Amino acid sequence: MSNLYNRPICVASGLLLPFLFFANPPWLTLMGVGPCWAVLWLLPWALVDGPKSAAIAGMLLGCLLDGMTLGDATYIPSLLCLGLWWGNLGVRREPFERRLNLGLLAWLGSCWVGITLWLQFVLRNHEEPSQWLGSWGFSTVLAQSLLTGLIAPIFCSFILLFFRKQKALILEKNRFGR
Amino acid sequence: MAAPIWAAPFRLKNLLKIWPIIILATALFVVRWTKGAAFADFYALALRPFWPGTAQKHWIESGLDIQLQSKLRLLEQDNQRLRALLSLERASGEERISAPVISRVPGGWWQQIELGKGRVDGIMNGAPVLGPGGLIGIVESATPFTSRVRLLTSPKSRIGVWVPRLKRHGILTGVGTSRPKLVFLEKDPQVRPGDLISTSPASTLLPPNVPIGVLQSFDSAASFEPSGFVQLIASPEAIDWVQIQVR
Repeated sequence: MSNLYNRPICVASGLLLPFLFFANPPWLTLMGVGPCWAVLWLLPWALVDGPKSAAIAGMLLGCLLDGMTLGDATYIPSLLCLGLWWGNLGVRREPFERRLNLGLLAWLGSCWVGITLWLQFVLRNHEEPSQWLGSWGFSTVLAQSLLTGLIAPIFCSFILLFFRKQKALILEKNRFGR
Repeated sequence: MAAPIWAAPFRLKNLLKIWPIIILATALFVVRWTKGAAFADFYALALRPFWPGTAQKHWIESGLDIQLQSKLRLLEQDNQRLRALLSLERASGEERISAPVISRVPGGWWQQIELGKGRVDGIMNGAPVLGPGGLIGIVESATPFTSRVRLLTSPKSRIGVWVPRLKRHGILTGVGTSRPKLVFLEKDPQVRPGDLISTSPASTLLPPNVPIGVLQSFDSAASFEPSGFVQLIASPEAIDWVQIQVR
C-alpha cells in the first residue's frame, strides 16, 4: 500500500481543517468570507495520491465539514468531483511545479464548491432567479474563490512538497521493506 | 436747630448729601430684582474650597442607581404578574447564562457562532441567544460543552418580530447579508426607517420584548409583500460574550 493514508501525519493534517474553519482568522477574510480550506488541502493530496484516494479523501472531508456547519447544504458531491478531477490531473500529467497552476486550480475548485453550495441554498430556499445575481451567494462565491486562489500558491505548494516527501518515504519503505 | 434734610426744600445740593442712602437703596433693589443672584454666586465662590468632595457625589449617584434598580425590579415583578394573568411567557432576566464565543463565522455560507457552554450548563436546542443590545440568534445544536448558534443573518433564520410603535407583526428573514429582511403581511404597514424592531410581547418561543434592530430601509411599493431591511443592534462580528436564555 503506497497511499498517503498510511502516513498518520498526513491524515492528521486533514484533521486540522476543522480547527482552521472554526478559527476563521478575521485578517484572512475578504468581505467577511474566509478561504475554502478544504480545497486548499484536497488539491495537493489529489495531485500526489491519485483519483481514488482523493475521491475518498474528498468524501470524508465533506462529511467532516458538513458536521461542523448548520443547514442541509453539503460539501460531499463537490469535493468528491474535485478529488477525481485533480487526482486524474496528478496521475496523467507531469508533476505540478508552477505555483500559478496551483492558484488557478484552487480558484476553479473553490468556484465549483461555492456554486454547488449556492445552488443547494437557492433550490432549498426557493429564491427567485431575478435575485440570484444580487444575492449574497454571488458575492460569497467571488470573495471565497479569489481568496482561495491567492492563498493557494503559498499554502498548497508547502503541503504539496510535504505530501510528496511523505509519498517518497512510503515508496522507499515499500521498496526496501521494513 | 437746623431743619431735617427731608424737610428742606428740594435742591441738588441736598440730594448730593444723601447719595449713600440712594446707592444702598439701588443696590438692595437690584438684589431683590435678581433674587439675590450676586449674593448666591459670591457665596458659592467664597465657599468653593469647602464644597463636598466627589465621594459624596458618588454616594448620591449610587443612591440613584439603587433607586432605579429597585424601581426596575418592582416594574419587572409587576410585569411578571400581569403576564402570568394573561398566561404569557415569562420574561425573566434571571434565567440567562453567559457563554463565551469560541468561534465566529459571521459571513459566507455559514452564518454561525460557536459558544463555550453546552448541555451540561443547561443549554438546549432552540434557546435564544442575546448579545449586548439585543437578540442575535437561536441555538441550533448543543453538545455537552459547546453550542452552535444560527445567527439572525443566516438564510435559514426566520422569526416573528414586532414593531412596538405600531403594534404590528412581521417576519424577519436572514438573507445572508448583515441586514436581515423584514416582511410584513399587511399591504400598508405604515412603518418608517428608524422604527425599533423587537420580539413580540406575546412570544412563547423567544423572550418577549427583546430589541432586535432598527428598520433601515423600507419598500412599501413592493409588488407582493412590503419589506424592508433591518440593522441589528447587536453585531455578531464584535461580540465576545453572549447570554443564553434557558428555560
